[in-house]
Amino acid sequence: MGREVSESCVDSLLTEMVSSYCDRFYANKPDLAARRIEAIGFQVGLQLSERYTMERPRFSDHLEAIKFICKDFWSELFKKQIDNLKTNHRGTFVLQDNRFRWLARMSVDPSPENGDLSQDNPPAENKAAQATSMHLYFPCGIIRGALSNLGIPCAVTADISNLPACSFVVRIKA
Amino acid sequence: MIVCVAVVGHQNNPLYIQSFTEADDALKLHHIVHCSLDVVDERVNNPKKSGPTLNETFLGLLYPTENYKVYGYLTNTKVKFILVTTDLDVRDADVRNFFRRFHAAYVDAVSNPFHVPGKKITSRTFAERVSTIVKSFGLSSAG
Repeated sequence: MGREVSESCVDSLLTEMVSSYCDRFYANKPDLAARRIEAIGFQVGLQLSERYTMERPRFSDHLEAIKFICKDFWSELFKKQIDNLKTNHRGTFVLQDNRFRWLARMSVDPSPENGDLSQDNPPAENKAAQATSMHLYFPCGIIRGALSNLGIPCAVTADISNLPACSFVVRIKA
Repeated sequence: MIVCVAVVGHQNNPLYIQSFTEADDALKLHHIVHCSLDVVDERVNNPKKSGPTLNETFLGLLYPTENYKVYGYLTNTKVKFILVTTDLDVRDADVRNFFRRFHAAYVDAVSNPFHVPGKKITSRTFAERVSTIVKSFGLSSAG
């Protein structure tokens, strides 16, 4: 029987981790904070892939491993599968989740810090995008860790141009 | 009786190796494990058998020696498990069952956040669990 984890706890932990790294540990170095968060995700992905591939035969090619990520791995993590998988057949895969769970409840504190409402809109939006993207280094790391452990070195980036859908772009290193 | 078990990482780096004999023959057993790695590579790179055995994690009997039988298991994450036994009459089901439990123990051990991936497994809990699995090996068939 599988053990269960409270979803809200995971949400809070993720948010708290991101804010700790961005605002406290590496307040002035967003790049470094992003790298550290991604590294945590990497280790989590490594361990999860070890567990979730236990009862299955080995994958014969990259596509099979990616499909595993889209179906079984995603189901274990988010109780749903990836909604859309695209590939150019040259080592790039786009995994789209139409309602990514870890962003579904995300909003940015609307209270303006400087009180100047008239000019605040564009920067606020920009800030929101930045804060959201910070939360995506962790799942990117998870995907990269899982695939690396399956013998597929790759780079993973996230695209959030149409929220709450979220696309993960996996580029397999030749 | 199982005399030796080993976990070997994807770069053929030893992650865990433990012998279960009274005699001072650890070196010999390590040598047997070492030799088996080539057989694993061979099996994986030239899969002769077709059908359901293709890409199965359980690799079966790697090679028999005069006194030992060596079994192998390769996970999806390219981690190898090696089992050396003195039993001449071993049932496949027992070995499969052993590897499944061994694999589960390994997964739990590497899921420890303090375990560094790719480094040797130093967990005492893991060692205890493995020796329990080793002791219970083949009991179902004997009883």
